[in-house]
Amino acid sequence: MKVKRTEDDPSAETRTDGGSGQFDWRGETTTQISRWDRYKEIYEERIYKPALVAWDDSRTRWGSLILLFYVLIALVALLDLWRFPATSQAARWMQPWPWGSLAYPLGTTKSGTDLAALLIHSTPYILILVTAGAIWATGIAVFVGTVSGYKGGTVDSVLMSVSDFFMAIPGLPLVIVLAVAFSPENPVFVGVIITINYWAGLGRSLRSQVLTIRENNYVEAARTMGTSTPRIIFKDVLPNLMPYVTVNAVFAARYTIFASVGLYFLGVLPYKIQNWGVTLNLAYNSAALFNVDYAYYLIIPMLAIMLLSFGFILLGQGLDRVFNPRVRTRMAGETESTVEDDDEDTGFTEVM
Amino acid sequence: MSTNGSTEQESKIRTDDPIIEVRDASVTYDDGTSYVLDHASIDVERSEVLGVVGESGSGKSMFASAMMDAIPDPGVLSGKIVYHPDEGEPVDVLALDDEELREFRWEEVSMVFQGAMSSFNPTMKIEEHFRETLKAHDAPVEEGMSFARELLEDLYLDPKRVFDVYPHELSGGMQQRALIALSLVLEPEVLIMDEPTAALDLLMQRSILMLLHELQQKYNLTMVFITHDLPLVADLADRMAVIYAFQFAEVGPRDEVVGNSGHPYTRALLNATPNIEAPLEEMRPIPGDQPAPINVPSGCSYHPRCPLSTEECEEVDPSFYDVEGDHVAACHHWEEAQEEIDLHLAGDDDGAVASDGGVDDE
Amino acid sequence: MLNYLTKRTARVFVTIWAVATLSFGLIRLLPGGPFTQLRIQLLRQGLPAEQVEERIRNLQNIRPDAPLWQQYLDYMGALVQGNLGVSIRLDEPVVEVVANAAPWTIFVVTVSTILVFAIGISIGALQAYWEGSRFDKFFTGLSMGALSVPFYVLAVILLFIFAYNLGWFPTSGRYDHSIENVWSLAYLVSVLRHAALPIAAYSLGAAGGQALAMRGNSIQVLGEDYVEVARLRGLSDSRIATRYVGRNAILPMYTGFLLLLGFRLGGTIILEQIFTYQGLGLRLFQALNQNDYPLMMGTFLVITVVLVLGVYVADLTYSRIDPRISQGDEGEAY
Repeated sequence: MKVKRTEDDPSAETRTDGGSGQFDWRGETTTQISRWDRYKEIYEERIYKPALVAWDDSRTRWGSLILLFYVLIALVALLDLWRFPATSQAARWMQPWPWGSLAYPLGTTKSGTDLAALLIHSTPYILILVTAGAIWATGIAVFVGTVSGYKGGTVDSVLMSVSDFFMAIPGLPLVIVLAVAFSPENPVFVGVIITINYWAGLGRSLRSQVLTIRENNYVEAARTMGTSTPRIIFKDVLPNLMPYVTVNAVFAARYTIFASVGLYFLGVLPYKIQNWGVTLNLAYNSAALFNVDYAYYLIIPMLAIMLLSFGFILLGQGLDRVFNPRVRTRMAGETESTVEDDDEDTGFTEVM
Repeated sequence: MSTNGSTEQESKIRTDDPIIEVRDASVTYDDGTSYVLDHASIDVERSEVLGVVGESGSGKSMFASAMMDAIPDPGVLSGKIVYHPDEGEPVDVLALDDEELREFRWEEVSMVFQGAMSSFNPTMKIEEHFRETLKAHDAPVEEGMSFARELLEDLYLDPKRVFDVYPHELSGGMQQRALIALSLVLEPEVLIMDEPTAALDLLMQRSILMLLHELQQKYNLTMVFITHDLPLVADLADRMAVIYAFQFAEVGPRDEVVGNSGHPYTRALLNATPNIEAPLEEMRPIPGDQPAPINVPSGCSYHPRCPLSTEECEEVDPSFYDVEGDHVAACHHWEEAQEEIDLHLAGDDDGAVASDGGVDDE
Repeated sequence: MLNYLTKRTARVFVTIWAVATLSFGLIRLLPGGPFTQLRIQLLRQGLPAEQVEERIRNLQNIRPDAPLWQQYLDYMGALVQGNLGVSIRLDEPVVEVVANAAPWTIFVVTVSTILVFAIGISIGALQAYWEGSRFDKFFTGLSMGALSVPFYVLAVILLFIFAYNLGWFPTSGRYDHSIENVWSLAYLVSVLRHAALPIAAYSLGAAGGQALAMRGNSIQVLGEDYVEVARLRGLSDSRIATRYVGRNAILPMYTGFLLLLGFRLGGTIILEQIFTYQGLGLRLFQALNQNDYPLMMGTFLVITVVLVLGVYVADLTYSRIDPRISQGDEGEAY
């Protein structure tokens, strides 16, 4: 059997890949892609399509709407569109609207304060608190998890020991001690303190995900090419973590609400304006527990808390779907291949 | 869509001693609007190795699952599949009830999937997989386990080592061999293999094929080997079947199908097989794409891509034509195909059809 | 393996030491200094000023006027001997207060956490089995709702309905104090009645979360090849459900279990307050309010030790359950 060698064939040019020069099978397929096209592509892939899928899912839709509702309420408060709460501004123990008056749609408290005003005016504070807590917890977790998982070695050991230490301490008692020590009033500060040890668990699971991503070929390739570590982390590692991170950020928000309201309820955190937890506390300590007529005083703040949490949970569950490739292609109306990643479930770490 | 139900067709498909007869097997996921297996008919001869070759998405995996009545939900399988055991009455596989089906599977007909790693329970040791399979079929456990050890040794695995580990502790090749042993532990008559070597490196592929050959001889198995890689199975197979667009295009003895194929698709497929030594300009991909189930062309499903297609091809779906002896092809113009489409097989100097019809791989 | 065991055990001690140090430091942060209160109290009781310092030293094993590092050493020394000082308000050794309170907290947290997982896993598994059915949809909605309700809100609601208004359950306390015989059936019943609402409040919300997680995991496992192969191999449905689907779906939940444990132990500080249930949480809270630093430090430390030990046990058993994890760094449950 005769093997045709390229040296024997005088018409062939030598090429490094062993092929003959007459057949430029690569040339036909490359086209120039303009920068504008690239941006358009990025927009489509990263923003438009996920948003489309997200909006299609009723859970994300409702979740976002609920959150939007709260932001609107916060705006109402910030723009002073509703009266400020004050004691004795109306008759005591007024029932909520169908039974009471429209001017005080949620009724009034034991000391004659407008319940609606109480809830509305504390909304901005709570929202800032929750956002700060969620961003802080997730941010630190991403940083620790990524650096620790990617770098390995001593950096890893040190970061994980610190992380373990924070995980070993039961969250709320530590927060309470810090709260008593520092008496924080700034909502951002409160948010940060509350999540002081929440990030540790998230950081750990992010780290194990990074450990897997790190083994991928493109990461190794980037390393070999001499790409700097921060760049690798940003462009190769982080995008793969985003699904997990977004879903968990939402649950960090939920935890922050629960913990903060709980602590206000306990009376541990100081407050300038009564917020939902404080209102709940006052309701708990008033006659509302014993008297069905006054139950609204308890129920309405509870509903405010629960609705916000529900909004976050809906959003979280919906976002989970966004990052699931099989759902995505059905929604965006294409048939991409249904190759499945072998990553673990993008489940949330639910606490409390 | 044609039905090969007439007696004329039947005689073309029928073999001497079929162990499994498949007639008009069809699988649909949307109540008959489209088919992912389109009235396929074939016989599997006892103790033979049947190689089923087709591209990804041609319906070959559906065919494999159909023989065990294991089409994933919500697919609906219709047609007739008859199993002929050594002794006893023929079994209508699709009419079996749940319990009978449970006994049928793995005791008579067994299957090996692609991707052995994902076929094992990651939290169970290999040994336990064997034990529980034996117990589930009320087979004597100790005897079964020593047979399992024998099988593993036939596959060049050390039973002591393999039994005591978890699946992830074995290499890919070892997993595949362990899976083959697991599928044979109840001494089935027929072993169906769906791309068993796709995830393995070339050397491992070759050695597993050799092992399969030895096993087939030793235990007198009937094997149905499903793959996209024609040259891979060509050595091992006694007969070959080519599947295209959810139907069988050509069936016949190996030498015939490879050396003297009648169907233009088969010939194009043979030509498309890459050969490391050939220069780039001799690469001959088949132009066009395989149809999706929902838009299978009318008439002959290959006609849009076929250089020989005529009006007849666009209107009439060909049934099997006799090419030679047991060799049949579903093409109106198979004679023309043999004359006009040259075969450029590995090892040829100048591209003419190899005269002995065999695949020459030194 | 042994190496891992020793390393892991050493870590328990290191962690406890670190937390003890932390609590030492934290308490110093709190306003008023650790012994201001005690000093005032002792003076009020009529103790001559010179003897106050001496008395503090005896009670709390710390020389208040010594430099900080010396106070630290005194503290650690006493700790190692099991001496946590004396509660200022209660005038009892902290160890006794803790020993009285701890079993109750551990009881409530353990039972409720077990319930969370028992309920969550069962419902989640059934949901996956009947995916898409009304059962599934109903419980998904219910679980999401349950997740939206903080346990303290649920606690107040349960108190409101079942204790204050219907009177089926007591509104506070750990047991009926009028029952003398600790070993009688009546006593046991009273313990259960008093613990019922706290446990219910603490379980139902979190169970919803675990149901959702189990459902997700199970659905994913059901789509795995080995489940289909097991079916083809002729294994029975119950075998597949438990050994194939169940086992593999539960494994990822282990991490969540550990994290939950930590937050639940800490959460007792709120739960016990609502139910006036004298466990570690309530004691810690009261101590905080009363500036009772020795008791504060003591309860904080004990809660942490319980958590560290719980995680330690879980860590060691996890690798036996999931064979994919080899001993060593990946032997961690996270």
